[in-house]
Amino acid sequence: MSDTLVEPVEEAPAPEPRWWQRPETKSIFWLWLTLTIVGLCFSWVPAWLLGGSASDQMRDIEQTMTIFTAAAAPVAALVWAVIIYSLVKWRYKGDSPPPDDAPGFDTNVPTVVIWVIGSAVLTLFVFVWGLIKIADIPSAGGVAALPAGSAIPIEVQVTGQQWVWNFTYPGLGGIQSDQLYLPVDHPVTFEVTSNDVTHSFWIVQMGVKVDANPGAVTSTVVNPTTIGTFDIRCAELCGILHAAMQTQAKVVSDKDFAAWTAQMKATAPAPLPSDEGGG
Amino acid sequence: MSVTAHDEATEKSPRASVPGGALLGRMSILTAVGVGLIATIAAHYAAVAFFVEPVLPEGTDPPAALAYLLENRIALTTMFGWVVGFMIGIGALNGPFRWLLGQDLTDEDLLFQAGKDQGVKRYFRFTTDHKVVGIQYLVITMILLGAGGTLAMLIRTDLMTPETKFLGPATYNTIVGMHGIIMIIATIVMVTGPFGNFILPIMIGARDMAFPRLNALSFWLLASVVPVLLTVPFLGGMPTGWSAYNPLADQAPPGMDAFVVTIIVFAISSAVAGANITTTAVKMRTHGMTWTRTPIFVFGVVASVGLAIPVFPAFMASQVFSGLDRAGGLTFYDPSGGGSGWLYANLFWLMGHPEVYVILIPALAALLELTPVFTRRPLFSFKAAVIAIAGIVGLSVLVWAHHMYVSGWAPKLGGPFMLTTEMISIPTGLLFLVFIGTMWRGRVWTRLPMMAVYMMLWNFVIGGITGVYLSDIPVATGLHGSMFVTAHFHYTLMGAALTGTMGALVYWFPKMTGRMFDERIGGWGFWIAQIGFNVTFIGMFMVGFAGQPRRVFNYSSVFATGNFVSTMGAYTIGIGMLVFLYAIISSWRSGQVAPANPWGGKTLEWQVPTPVPLENFDVLPVITADPYGYGRQPAPKPTAGART
Repeated sequence: MSDTLVEPVEEAPAPEPRWWQRPETKSIFWLWLTLTIVGLCFSWVPAWLLGGSASDQMRDIEQTMTIFTAAAAPVAALVWAVIIYSLVKWRYKGDSPPPDDAPGFDTNVPTVVIWVIGSAVLTLFVFVWGLIKIADIPSAGGVAALPAGSAIPIEVQVTGQQWVWNFTYPGLGGIQSDQLYLPVDHPVTFEVTSNDVTHSFWIVQMGVKVDANPGAVTSTVVNPTTIGTFDIRCAELCGILHAAMQTQAKVVSDKDFAAWTAQMKATAPAPLPSDEGGG
Repeated sequence: MSVTAHDEATEKSPRASVPGGALLGRMSILTAVGVGLIATIAAHYAAVAFFVEPVLPEGTDPPAALAYLLENRIALTTMFGWVVGFMIGIGALNGPFRWLLGQDLTDEDLLFQAGKDQGVKRYFRFTTDHKVVGIQYLVITMILLGAGGTLAMLIRTDLMTPETKFLGPATYNTIVGMHGIIMIIATIVMVTGPFGNFILPIMIGARDMAFPRLNALSFWLLASVVPVLLTVPFLGGMPTGWSAYNPLADQAPPGMDAFVVTIIVFAISSAVAGANITTTAVKMRTHGMTWTRTPIFVFGVVASVGLAIPVFPAFMASQVFSGLDRAGGLTFYDPSGGGSGWLYANLFWLMGHPEVYVILIPALAALLELTPVFTRRPLFSFKAAVIAIAGIVGLSVLVWAHHMYVSGWAPKLGGPFMLTTEMISIPTGLLFLVFIGTMWRGRVWTRLPMMAVYMMLWNFVIGGITGVYLSDIPVATGLHGSMFVTAHFHYTLMGAALTGTMGALVYWFPKMTGRMFDERIGGWGFWIAQIGFNVTFIGMFMVGFAGQPRRVFNYSSVFATGNFVSTMGAYTIGIGMLVFLYAIISSWRSGQVAPANPWGGKTLEWQVPTPVPLENFDVLPVITADPYGYGRQPAPKPTAGART
């Protein structure tokens, strides 16, 4: 992947036709190559910092981070190679302006053209990559591509209000909870709204994020792939306790989910007290 | 830049020192504060007497809503009273009042108004000399940056460890919002204010701005509204951050009204400044200064203030609507009355994204201006730089909804907005080429302004690349609203724009103050701040990746390490900035006296004496060459290699 991206920028700073013969070109090339390789070697770091994935969307995000970092490595390396070299080799120290001027050429059209084409190609790549990936994110205009033959999605109505999340399962007798329980490997649609101000519903490890707007319903889809407990936070400043507006998403096996559903139906047939503000 | 005497001797003749000024001679910041306070009190009591029974929308809870609307009406009226009183007291309306009486200012009055023979007092008056206004802007910028920086220290101290939270949640939110808006205002004016006013007219060979009185008006409007902004914490604060999202802002205490007034007045101030600077640059360039002989800094400043002209009214409108919702009981943003928070978000980001280029472009342009001086090379591909600036400006008004990728508003527009956003990286990348092309085989004179170029390039590469991550919807879905975003825009606005401004200050310091900047002490401050800066925001990137939301007063212990690193880095920035501030003050007071052209620059501001006389030029210069003729003087010598 990175090979195709490297070429346009590699030639970019060449000021003269015989640029490959100049000593600084060779030095900068090796410096650039070294920095690029270092960058490529560390391009897994952002995805690693994201801290694990619990859905396909999150895996997409990790993959995108890694690819973009790798694609950015030669670009950053080029700028840094030139500035490091110039600082070391073209340096003039003195208290008054340098007595002699540097070469007086003021542009180099091939360089500019190659540079623009190179950055346009990179931009196009980034754009097309994003378009392909948002096909999986309904809240961003994509059409959720659920695996063929997968079950009918569970619908969860998510309601944000200062400063709690509420989850209602209309397909399961309207049970309500302030924690999100989901069966593993079973698609879920979220219908998200708010009772007061704008919140943003964020399941961190699943890469799910969509705003909860008062007076409107936004929706998104996820297919949890990992059993475990994950973090739900609010990602839009919603007042003084914004930081505390968090809860947990528990992804459990089908059996455990059925047990939880049964228990919820048995113990809390009536709406939860926390629903009093909502409609 | 070659300068020859302009043949037609202009009308300027030595004028005798005259008193002039009339009433203006008695007006200063003291009368402004006095009249302002009287007007504040008068407006307050008028509002209390006048606004007795607000009309309520159907179905609202009468007592609470009544008190709420009344409170906001009184607050807004009182604050506008202050602004109007302050402007009358400073003498901003003397001219219009005289026109009402069928008179105009006399020649002597104009000279007085330009600050002739008034010493230090002219900095505290409604003075029209662009150099005075430039210094005024420089001082107010430093005050604002100091205030915003102090708040940043409070924020980082609160976040040092998961246990250190010493600010309550309401105080914390107010401080975050105040830090945001103070820094936004400071960074918007930090280049176009001081250098756009002081340097730009000299650079283009003009005696003053096109509209000197508007120039003073723009500064004093800003000065009048800073105290209003500072009342926010004392009026219940603002829970919203500087983005002031509605409908959250709708339920906020009267501190929010102070924010509303601040933004409305600041938008007027920037519109006035924008019209003035744009007109000056377009119409007042001296003889022979064609567009290709106009320094790149002029393009950068015009791009910035010109971009502000169409976009700031959107911000102003957003706050006018907010004020009407709060004080008039209207429902622009209230879904129960047919309004929508998305309306606010659109208006806000219509300004909010172009605004980052309003901040960034002039700082980059200042560095583009000084890079040829310190590399003794022509600016590489001047026309590409101009096209790049124009491209950024053009695209920047088409990208706002990338801040709303996850908002649910128009999800189908995600793709188009992703395209326009990512296209900005093409002209931005071109600016990088201009920088490194200008360094290429240069004689790099490693003085402090040039070091700012290096650090800007380092920081802006990181800020730019993280911006490309965020422009892509899959990544934005993961990282939107997280500390990653905070770190990203600090890398651009601080790492690139503020670093550029520090370089510009050191570069033009000799011309503006008549003294050399102490690069030894100032250099320590600069480098300490740069190291601290990179430490702070690398730590913030880490916790952002890991999922820490922005604007939280408290966080899970899994984010402890990155936050501690950030806080230590922030203290380092604080120390560095204090050292840099000390260098500014001590150099200004007692630095080495500067020669007229310490850097060997070829632009016009280095050809006039220091200190720059009133009206800058005895005889207006005529321009015969571009300002970057390094390495090809006296005559362009044919060197081997590609040339166009």
